[in-house]
Amino acid sequence: MNNEFLEIKDLKKSFGTGEARQDVLRGMNFTVKKGEFCVLLGPSGSGKSTLLNIIGGIDTPDEGFVSINGDKLEEMNEKELTMYRRKHLGYVFQMYNLIPNLNVKENIEVGAYLSDNPLDVEEVLTTLGLQNHKYKYPNQLSGGQQQRVSIGRAVVKNPDILMCDEPTGALDYKTSKEILALIEDCNSKFGSTVIMVTHNEAIRNMADHVIKLRDGVVRHNDINTNKISAMDLEW
Amino acid sequence: MKNPLIRRIPKELRSDWHKYLVIIVFMVIMIGVISGMYVGHDSMLAAVYAGREELVLEDGSFELSRKASQDLLDDIASGKKADVRSYYIDKGNKEADKKVAAAIEEELNEQVTEKIEEAVRAQCAAYGITDEEMIQAQIDAAVESSFDQAIKEARESEEFKKAVDEAYEEAHEEVVKKVDEEWDEVADRYNLNDEINPVSVKIYEHFYREESEDNNGDGAEDATVRIYKSDSEIDKASFNEGRAPEADNEIAIDRMHADNVGVALGDSIVVGGKQFEVVGLLSYVNYLTLHESNTDLMFDAFGFDVAMVTPEAFNKLRSRVHYSYAYKYDDAPQSKVEQQDHSENFLKALITQSLVYDNEIEDYLPEYLRQASNFAVSDIEGDSAGASILCYILIGVIAFIFAITISNTIEKEASVIGTLRASGYSRSELVVHYMSMPVIVTIIGAVIGNVLGYTAFRDLACFLYYNSYSLPACHAVWSNTALIKTTIIPLLLMFFINLFVIVRKLQLSPLRFLRHDLIKTRRTKAMRLPRWSFLKRFRLRIFFQNIPNYLVLIFGVIFIELMMCFAFGLPDSLNHYAKAAPDMMFAEYQYMLMDSKDDDGNVIETSEKSAERFSMTNLMYPKKSSSFREGMGSGQDESVTVYGITESSNYVTLGKDTSIDALYISSAFSKKFGISAGDMITLHEEYENKTYEFNVLGVINYDGGIAAFLDADSFNTVFEKDKDDFSGYFSRNEITDIDDQYIATVITSEDIVKVTNQLMHSMGGFMGVFKYALIVLSASLIYLLAKIIIERNEHSISMAKILGFKNGEIGSLYIVPTAIVVVLFSVVSLVIGYYLMIWIFHVFMLQLDGYFAFYMKQSSMLLAVVYLLVGYAAVSLIDFARIKRIPLDVALKNIE
Repeated sequence: MNNEFLEIKDLKKSFGTGEARQDVLRGMNFTVKKGEFCVLLGPSGSGKSTLLNIIGGIDTPDEGFVSINGDKLEEMNEKELTMYRRKHLGYVFQMYNLIPNLNVKENIEVGAYLSDNPLDVEEVLTTLGLQNHKYKYPNQLSGGQQQRVSIGRAVVKNPDILMCDEPTGALDYKTSKEILALIEDCNSKFGSTVIMVTHNEAIRNMADHVIKLRDGVVRHNDINTNKISAMDLEW
Repeated sequence: MKNPLIRRIPKELRSDWHKYLVIIVFMVIMIGVISGMYVGHDSMLAAVYAGREELVLEDGSFELSRKASQDLLDDIASGKKADVRSYYIDKGNKEADKKVAAAIEEELNEQVTEKIEEAVRAQCAAYGITDEEMIQAQIDAAVESSFDQAIKEARESEEFKKAVDEAYEEAHEEVVKKVDEEWDEVADRYNLNDEINPVSVKIYEHFYREESEDNNGDGAEDATVRIYKSDSEIDKASFNEGRAPEADNEIAIDRMHADNVGVALGDSIVVGGKQFEVVGLLSYVNYLTLHESNTDLMFDAFGFDVAMVTPEAFNKLRSRVHYSYAYKYDDAPQSKVEQQDHSENFLKALITQSLVYDNEIEDYLPEYLRQASNFAVSDIEGDSAGASILCYILIGVIAFIFAITISNTIEKEASVIGTLRASGYSRSELVVHYMSMPVIVTIIGAVIGNVLGYTAFRDLACFLYYNSYSLPACHAVWSNTALIKTTIIPLLLMFFINLFVIVRKLQLSPLRFLRHDLIKTRRTKAMRLPRWSFLKRFRLRIFFQNIPNYLVLIFGVIFIELMMCFAFGLPDSLNHYAKAAPDMMFAEYQYMLMDSKDDDGNVIETSEKSAERFSMTNLMYPKKSSSFREGMGSGQDESVTVYGITESSNYVTLGKDTSIDALYISSAFSKKFGISAGDMITLHEEYENKTYEFNVLGVINYDGGIAAFLDADSFNTVFEKDKDDFSGYFSRNEITDIDDQYIATVITSEDIVKVTNQLMHSMGGFMGVFKYALIVLSASLIYLLAKIIIERNEHSISMAKILGFKNGEIGSLYIVPTAIVVVLFSVVSLVIGYYLMIWIFHVFMLQLDGYFAFYMKQSSMLLAVVYLLVGYAAVSLIDFARIKRIPLDVALKNIE
């Protein structure tokens, strides 16, 4: 297997036209190895969510390409992109986006359904500490519990890449740490490559690979050799 | 693994059960009623058609003045024309021979006697005998002794033989001459010189008697009853209740007549002065409607009855026997033209054979012209056309409501959809998911609707038919039409309307769903509002924000008003037609004669001053080209009554001169088919391959029927009639000096009213059911439409509550704009619905024979609006309760 699992090459993206044109990505280059915990850091407007969306195949670059395992996303048609997301990606958003009239277990099954080799739903429920809540509906859960379900829905697919867009953005300190620990767990336990977008500087300490973005370009591309556990993070 | 999204569906059904219940009830009623109509319709027709085979419906019947000999029946059955000319010659010859023989005998006797006398006198003279007495005595003795010998000798003489031959020859020549003189006239009248293809038939004895019926034991005659024997092999009856009579005091009578006059199984009635027990209520296959005479404009199920008794009881009755015979063709005709040919050929055989057997024909009627067996069938065949259009519109509206609801749901669930799409759910998986609810609900509605259609509603439809006609008992038959029209088409409509909306809605990229960026065109600037109070401006903003929803609401209100126009307008139109019908008559009396000449060949005249001759015939106008559908319900071509009007008529005024290829048409004809002056129309004979082309000169204001008008001369030329031929008289006063036997029908305003009354009676029950079903459907529809508006604004309403608005204020913000829209558009929609209904009615009329325009009373219009507003007022209360129930945390929670 190619060690450089994800390759981002000369990626450019802008929104709007004329005077209103805004270059969000201005030639971005980096690679991520398989199984890496990669954090994309940056302030608002630095282009990190756009980058994540392009990697996730739900947005397209104006120039450059994203290649996963040697396959260039730009060469895929819509159907192939859907299959790519279906087979390789797990998504976790800041807003949990759970289906309101499915219970916790069923919401996780929504992810399992898409995968050819899903993890055991019960096992995921146990890992996420949701066994006692599995028959509850999303509106009966706290924000942290809902985010656990959302992570469960993503990891149960056993994805190659787990994409996390500000997963702790709407959570308190304690819950945030718990959620990060869970993602860390998934990374180590299931071997998923994690790409996490955040503006929380503290999170860089738990990552293998930290990419700092500003104004649409990579400012720092560091490998963290002193990573610490999520539960030890402080901010 | 099954798609876990499937589990949402039952949950969704449960959580919003009242909405889906309303929709399902809505569909069940609609599909059930229409399926019931079609199933009832098809079952009834199936029963009627099956009955024609099983109960051996005749191909025609005739009545003779005397009982026919077996030889006569055999000859009629052969279908061959008798040689009437030879019959007359033979008959003449026989009579002539008798006369000639008698004359010869007399002459011979005289001559022989003379000769003997001569010989005796000569002998007496030779012997000198002069005494006359002696001579006479000798003569007598000689005659006595040698007369026979002399006669014998005379007969053997060549001279005698020659004379006899000459006498016979002369007499026979005279006979032929006389027959030839008279033959031409007879043959001309019945076209007896034409060659015919013999149509062989099987003849069945079908005698009947007509007796008086007293069904309440008061001694007065209540009806005329036509009685047949229970062992008849043709035109048999099916029993709706009870059985055939087995004892001499038992009788089975027509079910419809029994219903009308209140006779039940087990009752006693007096027929022909004898007491009978009613043991069966029947439907004769040849009396589906109780037409006493085939020329009756309308049947009479009160004053006329048909019945069955045992042959013994039949023989004991006292009134005269009608020697009626029914027949069936050995080779059944395959087309209408062939039917006509068969019957014409058979008639010639019948006329000639009965003539040569010295029997007289009292009546002849081929079955295809028999009103009593065809009236109901053609009426049923033409039924149920309009309802399916209404069904499709309704299903379309429901599909639209679904589409709007789903589109709201998609907006609400945008981020979930975005997440699912980002996670790898394909667009088609989501389309299938969102499509499943309307499809499942339609299937549930269609299944329950069809079950009811095959049971309760079918019974209702059959009951409505039974209410009108003497029909046989029917059993539900599988109806493909019902399946297609009430299940397949609604499902397809629901499927494609929703597919279109959902596919369009889900076209957006996952990212746009994640960003809730679902609006394709963005408003650049907020509209500036006048300096009104805050609440007013708020309300106005809500109004603008909900314009798409109001558009749907307005569409729904138009549809409701359309249904109201249908529910109120149809009975109004019928009543209006019934009221206006008498004024639509050309004349107070319209006498149709059997022939323009009486039995002696004299033209039938009247001394009535206001009487005016007219000619009339029926042609067909091809309907298919103007009707958008064919097959069941489209009927055949439209029957057009063509009138020949005398010059300077007092009853119909023709403008320009008509000619053999130019005529006027009635306003009903013009309106129904959109024909105007200058157009060309092609009419054709129903039973012959003959067409006529006419230029339309103008339109005559006559809404009473589909008619065309020529002047009498052109009429007679076009239809190859004699110059002075005519069909009857228009008259202001009753004509009393024409013998009844020459009058086929008299149409007075009472008859026209009778027709519309019968129409009201037949359709009345149906209309009542329909009216209430439509009102329920209207209320359900407005409930669903109003619910959409509140649902869409749930978030804002919750936010308004958090901000501190009271329920009353919120109600006034969200309900008042809707109320204003409903009130304003209730009137506008009535106008739109009214005009739409006029159009739909016109299309509906194209399916039927005849024409009357859509009419709606002003009070009905008012009621149509009031019903809607009352319905909306009730829905507003529910809406207000709904607003009160919206929790505050809807706007606060981060959950979807």
